[in-house]
Amino acid sequence: MIGTVVRVGLLRMWHGRTEILLTFVVPIAFFTIFAFIFDEQIGLGKSPRVDIAIVDEDSTELSREFVTALAEWETLRVYAPAGYQEKLFVFTAAEPARELVLAGILPLAVVVPEGWSGSLANPDAQPVGLQLLADSSDPVATQVVTALLRQTSGRIAAERGRQQLEVLLSLSPDEFAESPMSRFGTPAAIEVIDLFAADKANPVVSMYAAGIAVMFLLFGAVGNSGTLLEEEDNQTLDRLLCSNLTMNQLLAGKWLLMTLVGIVQVTIMFAWAQLAFGVDLLGHLPGFAVMTVVTAGAASSFALTLAALCRNRAQLNAVAVILILCMSALGGSMVPRYVMSETMQSFGKITFNAWALDGYIKVFWRNLPLADLVPELSVLAATALVLFGVGRILARRWENS
Amino acid sequence: MMVSDPTTTRDRADSESALRIRDLVKRFGPTTALNRAGLELRRGERLALLGPNGAGKTTLVRCICGRSVPDSGSIEMLGRQLPPSGGRHELGFVPQEIALYPDLTARENLDAFGRFHGLTGGELRDAVEWALQWTGLADRADDLTKTFSSGMKRRVNIACGVLHRPLVLLLDEPTVGVDPQSRDRIFRMLEELWRQGTSILLTTHQLDEAERQCDRIVIIDHGHAIAEGTLGDLIASTVGANRRVVFTLAEACSELAGFTVRGDGRRLVAEVEDVARDLPGLLNRIRESGGQVSDLDVQPPSLHSVFIHLTGRELRE
Ligand SMILES: Nc1ncnc2c1ncn2[C@@H]1O[C@H](COP(=O)(O)OP(=O)(O)OP(=O)(O)O)[C@@H](O)[C@H]1O
Ligand SMILES: [Mg+2]
Repeated sequence: MIGTVVRVGLLRMWHGRTEILLTFVVPIAFFTIFAFIFDEQIGLGKSPRVDIAIVDEDSTELSREFVTALAEWETLRVYAPAGYQEKLFVFTAAEPARELVLAGILPLAVVVPEGWSGSLANPDAQPVGLQLLADSSDPVATQVVTALLRQTSGRIAAERGRQQLEVLLSLSPDEFAESPMSRFGTPAAIEVIDLFAADKANPVVSMYAAGIAVMFLLFGAVGNSGTLLEEEDNQTLDRLLCSNLTMNQLLAGKWLLMTLVGIVQVTIMFAWAQLAFGVDLLGHLPGFAVMTVVTAGAASSFALTLAALCRNRAQLNAVAVILILCMSALGGSMVPRYVMSETMQSFGKITFNAWALDGYIKVFWRNLPLADLVPELSVLAATALVLFGVGRILARRWENS
Repeated sequence: MMVSDPTTTRDRADSESALRIRDLVKRFGPTTALNRAGLELRRGERLALLGPNGAGKTTLVRCICGRSVPDSGSIEMLGRQLPPSGGRHELGFVPQEIALYPDLTARENLDAFGRFHGLTGGELRDAVEWALQWTGLADRADDLTKTFSSGMKRRVNIACGVLHRPLVLLLDEPTVGVDPQSRDRIFRMLEELWRQGTSILLTTHQLDEAERQCDRIVIIDHGHAIAEGTLGDLIASTVGANRRVVFTLAEACSELAGFTVRGDGRRLVAEVEDVARDLPGLLNRIRESGGQVSDLDVQPPSLHSVFIHLTGRELRE
């Protein structure tokens, strides 16, 4: 008896080979993605190169030596404006670099403030530390660069200290007593200035809200698009297509429904995030609205295409789970993309999760105006259109067999 | 509701056809589902498309309603050639499955399919009310259809296909899986439509339905319509007016001239023109050959015998 139960189960699996294959493939694919994200070689270990801007307000021989040494780190990629040919680009004032960080173009800017070398040479002067203008949505980059600053300034200070010692040793005892004690021996002071943390209205949770919202948007849409396959199965689709309803109207209707449901779903999620976690939804309503509409639209088109591709609901579910989980992992819905290697980060850009999350981060984290959302909005809108088109073509199989 | 006189409807029937199908071929890979199938549904008639499982009935109906594109052949409706899809407003279609939204109420289902067929406003409301009365489900109108018995579901299934009052109605096995009372009820519903002038084509593999509930019959087998006509026509052109006489013997016998031996050899079948004249002779011959008749059955020609004559096999229920 028990044997028969097992036998029947195995036979049914055998007849649904594709779905079963997928259930075995899901964990493997998933594991592989996470392995790549966290792998020593490709992921964290060979840490992603950090983009920084260097500002030298001090403009002394010592500060120039310091920034040159800093730029030599493999891990760092120093920002230069387009078309700049020289070896190293250094801002002379902090403001433009600060703008770059605020706009999300760079995670960090290193500022050597005026009077830095002076304060090092003169123990009596007010101490002036290095500044790191940081976007704390990427804590990894901040820590990496802080460590590098410490090492670089330490090395230079040690060198200076040694030179000074030689000078001191060549002095007569009287002259030695007269000479100022320098700070070269003391560890470098580094002040991390978080450009966003001061703003209580943008807690990190807004990023997670977006990540989770996009993932469930996809699951919700697929659940809804599966009704097409049920309708096919019980001949309701036959009946619908025998009426005045055309396939275009049917798909457009399904798409609209999924998009509306998706918009409501994401809105409820963010409203809850506002109530419970202080995400400032009301303060970012326009950006949130446009991002949510295009993201929900893209998710609906994705779900329609997937349904048109699959033969039955079981297959749709299996395929959807693997795709959505992979897209979410790659696109940053599960692990923030900044912990991934550069290759993985650019690879993630093929998922529209990544574009959606970037858009939401621009809105909630960076407070950027609508105009700055153009790349994300265009990519998502184009995705929605193209996938709908693909779904429409695939749906031909339902029109006549 | 206007009720047209059935006699005038039937007078028109001979002059014009509601559907005329010629040489329809449809292949699915290696299977030929329709093999030069042809038939005519006259205006105001009820035509049964009778055939065993896999004969191609559903495929034929799907081709007519544009859900399947035939590989070749032509379909004319009400005198005009039908395009592969679309242009079928006068057509109503009731699928073989219960094609309803189980999580909507009967009224909501009717309302939805009425809208899809282009009904709006008062017209839609009237049609839904009419359908609820017609199906006898007015008191269950606001229950979810998934809570209905299969006969009730069947009725709603049919109603959803006729809300827009089609001139031609296609029903694919409208009574499959329902008890005799529900079947009668469904046929009374269809009769009401027929009296109002709707031409009806229904597929079935139930002989008695075809025989009693329809005006003419088309027999389809292996994708080809092998006979078409009234029951009388079919009988005359196949088995003729002969009666079949089945003798059951006490002991099996091997062979006897003029008889066909059936089953375990205890049944002898003969065909006779006149029972009163020929029966004594047959009985005599059996007795002379040593057989002992324990029972005998005289069968008038029926659709059953026509079917066996044409296809060489029984039609399972
Ligand atoms: N979509 C399809 N793909 C492949 N073969 C099909 C398809 N639809 C029908 N067939 C085949 O065509 C033949 C006719 O099928 P069809 O459903 O028309 O028979 P039917 O007369 O309606 O049978 P039933 O009484 O069982 O409903 C069958 O052999 C069937 O397997
Ligand atoms: Mg069928």
